[in-house]
Amino acid sequence: MSNLVDQITAGLKTWARVNSPWVIHFNSGSCNGCDIEILATLTPRYDLERFGVKLQGSPRHADVLVCTGPVTRQARERLIRIYEQMPEPKFVVAVGSCAVSGGVFEGCYNVMGGIDRVIPVHAFIPGCPPRPEAIIDGVVKLLSSLQSPAPVQPIMGPDGGKA
Amino acid sequence: MTSIIELLLFPSGLFVLALGLAYEWVDRKLLAQMQNRIGPRWFQPFADLIKLLAKEEIVPEGVNRVLFLGLPVVALAGALTAALYVPLLGLAPAYSFPGDLIVTVYLLSLLTLCMGLAGANTLDRFSLIGATRTLTQLFSYEAPFMLALLAPALVAGTWQISGIVAHADGQWMLLTQPLGFIVAIIGLMGKLEMPPFDAPEAETEIVAGALTEYSGRGYALFRLGKNVELVVGLTLVAAFYLGGVLNPIDFVLKTGGLLLVMVGVHAVMTRMRIEQTVGLWWRYGALLVLVQILIQLVWKVAAA
Ligand code: SF4
Repeated sequence: MSNLVDQITAGLKTWARVNSPWVIHFNSGSCNGCDIEILATLTPRYDLERFGVKLQGSPRHADVLVCTGPVTRQARERLIRIYEQMPEPKFVVAVGSCAVSGGVFEGCYNVMGGIDRVIPVHAFIPGCPPRPEAIIDGVVKLLSSLQSPAPVQPIMGPDGGKA
Repeated sequence: MTSIIELLLFPSGLFVLALGLAYEWVDRKLLAQMQNRIGPRWFQPFADLIKLLAKEEIVPEGVNRVLFLGLPVVALAGALTAALYVPLLGLAPAYSFPGDLIVTVYLLSLLTLCMGLAGANTLDRFSLIGATRTLTQLFSYEAPFMLALLAPALVAGTWQISGIVAHADGQWMLLTQPLGFIVAIIGLMGKLEMPPFDAPEAETEIVAGALTEYSGRGYALFRLGKNVELVVGLTLVAAFYLGGVLNPIDFVLKTGGLLLVMVGVHAVMTRMRIEQTVGLWWRYGALLVLVQILIQLVWKVAAA
């Protein structure tokens, strides 16, 4: 009996999480190309409120951290702080080639590399910059994986965030 | 036994919460339609609520723990108590005593007061600015809104909500007291911090205002409280100015119409600065409604 109740509440929670992702957007050193695409994604043209997506200003209210750009040495601390301010469960989406791997900035003296060098990342969306459709697709794939038996696990870069 | 069911299920308690969520959806959907979007699905507020309740609640450093956790509960309780005294769905209010109008209006203000305290309780600068603005706005719309609700009370000659509603039955005070109606509806928008009066939670300047540090359960309860306040406020204004709410269909039509007007104003106006809001209330709002009451008193004396 209690097993059934547990199952139902767990299902309800996952359903709510999938249907109401509130996002916060952070630019950790992007060239702004990706940010413009993210803003385009949130405009009435694509109307993400259909899926319950809402842009939040406060990390405390957000579920999904959408990061753009490579992590610069200056932004590293801030990125970690914003990540830690978000309440569990939280998801991180890296948008753009730079956020995935460092992109054109890879190897610069002031750049740590991709987002996964600093915080665990759930979904990578490549493209320079990715189209709004690609961003929506990435977020939808991440969320629908939550309902599957094997939800995506966040991964860290090769040096496990010690960079 | 029946009174417990009345309190917890219908027509207050859970039912008011559900009604609040439904009205939030109508509000968001209408706004989306006016902005040429499709808008959220019907269960969106419900999904938001469950998700927030299932989230971790972070208590930041340097706050008073008891206050931080207790304020959302008090806020929601205040709004729910206010719902007991208004004719929801056109049914008779669950409780009623002479002078309950004043109690109801101040119970509604409890939510705003709790939000101000919640913001002032945290060390975050955005919350502090938000709390200051919330309380400033509270003190500016409170008096005009109260006066606007007292004008029908003066006509009815009683301060009991059920008495005023019985008097207002089928008599559209909107026609005899247009000024009071305008102030009441704008006051309601100020109370709900709807744009153009959303300076207290201006997300482009101060993140999320007083509630910046709230996550999970606390934030969910504050949002619920606001939804209940929306329903109660709409009911009050519809019952007083739009000729009473006689039955559920009448109730839905009249409150829905009011909501449509409010969302229309929301969609066409930009945010006002906080000192513009205060100026609007004290320079025009209070004056208009005072003129209204004066005319009414003179009329009453002349008629007698
Ligand atoms: S992926 Fe391209 S558009 Fe995006 S931040 Fe890097 S260089 Fe700019």
